[in-house]
Amino acid sequence: MSNQREREKRREERLQAESKDAATDRRERMLKLAAGAFFLAIVAVVVVIVVASSSGGGGDTELEGVSEVNQELSGIPQNDLVIGDPKAPVELVEFGDLQCPVCKAFAEDVLPPVIENQVAKGEAKIVFRNFTIIGPDSTPAGTAAVAAGAQGRGWNFIDLFYRNQGAENGGYVDDEFLTAVAKAAGVKDIATWNQERNSPKATEEVENTSAEAQRLGFQGTPSFAIKGPSTTGLEPLGTLGNSGEFEAAIEDAS
Amino acid sequence: MKFPSEAALRKAIAFVATLGVGVATYIAIVESGGGSPVCLAGGSGCRTVAESSYSHIAGINVAIFGIVGYLGILATAFLVSDAARFAGFALALGGFGFSIYLTYIEIFKIEAICQWCVGSAVLMTILFLLNATRLIAYAGTTTGAQAPLREA
Repeated sequence: MSNQREREKRREERLQAESKDAATDRRERMLKLAAGAFFLAIVAVVVVIVVASSSGGGGDTELEGVSEVNQELSGIPQNDLVIGDPKAPVELVEFGDLQCPVCKAFAEDVLPPVIENQVAKGEAKIVFRNFTIIGPDSTPAGTAAVAAGAQGRGWNFIDLFYRNQGAENGGYVDDEFLTAVAKAAGVKDIATWNQERNSPKATEEVENTSAEAQRLGFQGTPSFAIKGPSTTGLEPLGTLGNSGEFEAAIEDAS
Repeated sequence: MKFPSEAALRKAIAFVATLGVGVATYIAIVESGGGSPVCLAGGSGCRTVAESSYSHIAGINVAIFGIVGYLGILATAFLVSDAARFAGFALALGGFGFSIYLTYIEIFKIEAICQWCVGSAVLMTILFLLNATRLIAYAGTTTGAQAPLREA
């Protein structure tokens, strides 16, 4: 009797030990797997960062999108900061800040179809007016655009600036950056452009258009207004969401 | 070495993961332009980050990846099994690695810092540490009692 009990007890102990061993094995396998995953993750992050840092590095004045922007805008008349036929019946006014990332998104995604269709067909023209809200660097950026507009390259300058925009008030808006954008935008006479962008007249224009935006009740950028045969003067539109809404607004105004 | 009880770790993981879901959801809403789609005076770096080309991978807002990851980690906190421990660790490891990459992109590529994204990176780091502790302390156990640590 006691013999049997002893045997049972031993058997139980053995089973327990075995299951303990199995658990320990499982635990070791799992921890090895985890350690492997950890090192793999480290390698993956390092590789991705190395790849990311080696692509598109380069100097400060290396600009992106130069040929695309100049190609998109070629053949469309420009004078000052107006793009499109000066006699176009509808005038769409954009109050923007060159430092504003949302304006950048509009310049890249929302406005191009409108320019390609209604502006290129002479149904509308778009006017860019500086509304400097982001910070002190918005003013020199704005006057540089005004001076580029005087040489018929205003929209090339604006679009290229947006394509290469840095962080808000990040200090990238310096003479070197602005000159690189102006040259790439096709501003021929850089000396005159320099003179004009530093003139009190250009600063005054930027201040005036900012004041106009405030008078229209705008608080952010980009904000739009429209004028056409069917509107009573310059009517505020606010910030529309997509290209289709702009196209509809232009139709309504004409 | 003594570890916190698994129940305590699971509670902490659930709590931090819930915060993470909140932060990632907020970022997703802001990034998709759910707020007013304009720049306001004195704007923060979040706009710059959200409008950058790095904010989407394969057309999907990176914050969506964050929401999915946090929800997954949250789910593992409710289960007690080796599978759950390992899944939690793997998800948090992936999220941690992804956060390192995103923070690198913010600092060196976009050159703008969005405090919400930094907040998410911090939460993910905490979750990684918690899940790693849970796995190391309790892998292979069924009862939730701490596994015997081997010497050497």
